[in-house]
Amino acid sequence: MATESKKVLYGLYNDEEDLKGAVKAAAKAHLDIMDVFTPFPVHGLDPILDLKESRLHYLGFIYGAIGATFGFMTMTWVFTRDWPIVFGGKPYWSVPAFIPITFEMTVLFAAWGMTITFYTICGMWPGVKAKSLDNRITDDKFCLAFDVTDATEGDVDKLKGFFTQSQAAEVNVKTI
Amino acid sequence: MNLTNTQFVFESKTKSILIGGMVLGALCLILTYLNDDAYHTRFWTNFLHNSVYFTGIAFTSMFFLSAQITAFAGWNSLVKRVWEAMSQFMWVGLILMAVLVAGVWGHFHHLYHWNTPGITDPANPIFDKIIAGKAGFLNAGWYTLGTLGFLAIWYFWAYNLRKASVAQDTEETASFAFYKKQRKWAASFLPLGGFLSTVFIWQSVMSIDPHWYSTMFAWYSMISMWLGSIALTVMLLIYLKSLGYLEYVTREHLHDVGKFLFGISVFWTYLWFDQFMLIWYANNGEETIYFRERMMHYPVLFWGNLLLNFVTPFLILMRNDTKRKFGTMFFVALIVFLGHWWDYFYMIKPGARIAANEAKEISEGNFGKHHKAAPMSEAAPATEAHTPAATEEHATAEHAAHDTVAHEAAPAAHETPAAPAAAAHGEAAHGEAAHATEHGATNGEERPFKAGFTLPGFLELGTLIGFLSLYLFFFFNQLTKSSLVPWKDPYLDESLHHETGALISTEVDAHHGHDDHH
Repeated sequence: MATESKKVLYGLYNDEEDLKGAVKAAAKAHLDIMDVFTPFPVHGLDPILDLKESRLHYLGFIYGAIGATFGFMTMTWVFTRDWPIVFGGKPYWSVPAFIPITFEMTVLFAAWGMTITFYTICGMWPGVKAKSLDNRITDDKFCLAFDVTDATEGDVDKLKGFFTQSQAAEVNVKTI
Repeated sequence: MNLTNTQFVFESKTKSILIGGMVLGALCLILTYLNDDAYHTRFWTNFLHNSVYFTGIAFTSMFFLSAQITAFAGWNSLVKRVWEAMSQFMWVGLILMAVLVAGVWGHFHHLYHWNTPGITDPANPIFDKIIAGKAGFLNAGWYTLGTLGFLAIWYFWAYNLRKASVAQDTEETASFAFYKKQRKWAASFLPLGGFLSTVFIWQSVMSIDPHWYSTMFAWYSMISMWLGSIALTVMLLIYLKSLGYLEYVTREHLHDVGKFLFGISVFWTYLWFDQFMLIWYANNGEETIYFRERMMHYPVLFWGNLLLNFVTPFLILMRNDTKRKFGTMFFVALIVFLGHWWDYFYMIKPGARIAANEAKEISEGNFGKHHKAAPMSEAAPATEAHTPAATEEHATAEHAAHDTVAHEAAPAAHETPAAPAAAAHGEAAHGEAAHATEHGATNGEERPFKAGFTLPGFLELGTLIGFLSLYLFFFFNQLTKSSLVPWKDPYLDESLHHETGALISTEVDAHHGHDDHH
């Protein structure tokens, strides 16, 4: 993740419908949106932002498959090679008895794998400092942000005009 | 609100097709009856199988609807009328089950071994100690209450819930007045349906194997019905949409029903596996016999069950986008619908085949006799049978025989002194032991392929079509009785704007293409 600081121009909206309208207008005017922040998931925002479907779940499947194989093979190895014990007169290689553990390992691997992958992609390591534009975006404000690090003054004015037009409640600049 | 096509019309063409289906089903039932064994086992099992399955679908539709109303679900408002109509079939189920109840009282079918006259009488040679111990529950009175009585209660609730829902349409403006009324019926139905369904299924299906019991069975079979109901819902929604109704039911709603189809399928597998693994692990004879019989003699039924009801929905519906495609969903729903029909087939047929065999032996007067012969010939050393030691041995052995009436372990009885001792001690004793060996031997017997038992045959498929037509006829008829949209439902607006928030690449492209035109 980029460690350089960015200069961000952002507008805060009071309602998710206002935000959706603004994002639509921005897309129509071919403005380069940096990101959108909302206190809760807003349905229907993703297609307007032209976001691609996440590929995280493909990895989830792969992690799960690895977990299942690992769990099953470990049980097989332990109870047929390493330490065979007779339980209730059952054969050493008792598949039904292995299934709960195989299942647990599948869930464990898929969950941990996806969590770690997601945090890595988002650069969320332990001890990382949160770069927040405004605390209210976790409360009641809906934020639309543009990266203006390399923008000319004219561009910034144009964006400010856009915010006024789309009825943003507040417009700020912040370097994060 | 400007919704079109909100009144379902039951076209005469559809009616004719469904009546044709019913005639086909009736013909198949008659054909089955004519080419059957002396007890018409195939006919009666088919009748029981389909009656329970379709009544169960009606019941679980009501259960599902009640659970959603109780939970203040909003997304379902547009689909509600479909479930309401589906649940009303319980009224027909009542008549179907009444036929079976009459059969239990009048002894004109032999589905239930516990219903054999004299089986609980210690003086009778066919006396069965285990069944006698369960006679307080496994009797015609309880059977009537457990099937007819409980169905009537459920139907009363379903009727009133629907009444409160339809009455809502007459309201001036949407309010919670009628919704609260519905909630009363819905919330009280949950415990009623949940607890009583266990008794219903113990009586109608589990008691076919009267020696066997499983505490997981009621859950398992009820979830099986529920999946039948969800799968049928999916197919009906898609069908109704294809006719031009329910335009406002979008893939967002379908996605949610699909999640239920997926999730409950996994839950079904969990219950299937739990029931299997606990029994497999504990290896108690009287429990294991159930799976031993099915795995050894009905492997296609046994494994096919998992293939249809777990592997297929699990692998296909795991993806997000498959739950949003009408074609894929219809295909999976069809598989699951047939899969749970198959599941009930698997639960009912093997046990009923044994019951019929037992009925045959009883009527021929040689119930267990040919199995007695072997231990008798080995019983020569029984001369010292009356010494105290031998008596004690006998007592222990007899006791052991009780425990192993349990078929699975019964062959072992040949190796223990149980059988010879029992034989030497005459009638009273060998009634017991012989019965034990009888079951063991019956279950160890070969089960040659028999259409309608080993696998569903054409007659079973025809019967399924018949019952399905009956169900659909009743369903469509109910559907015409109210608007497809609950106009004054307080959650209607939420349902109309329902979005799952799923982001599917292919759909996003389509969406954009659409937007550009404006």
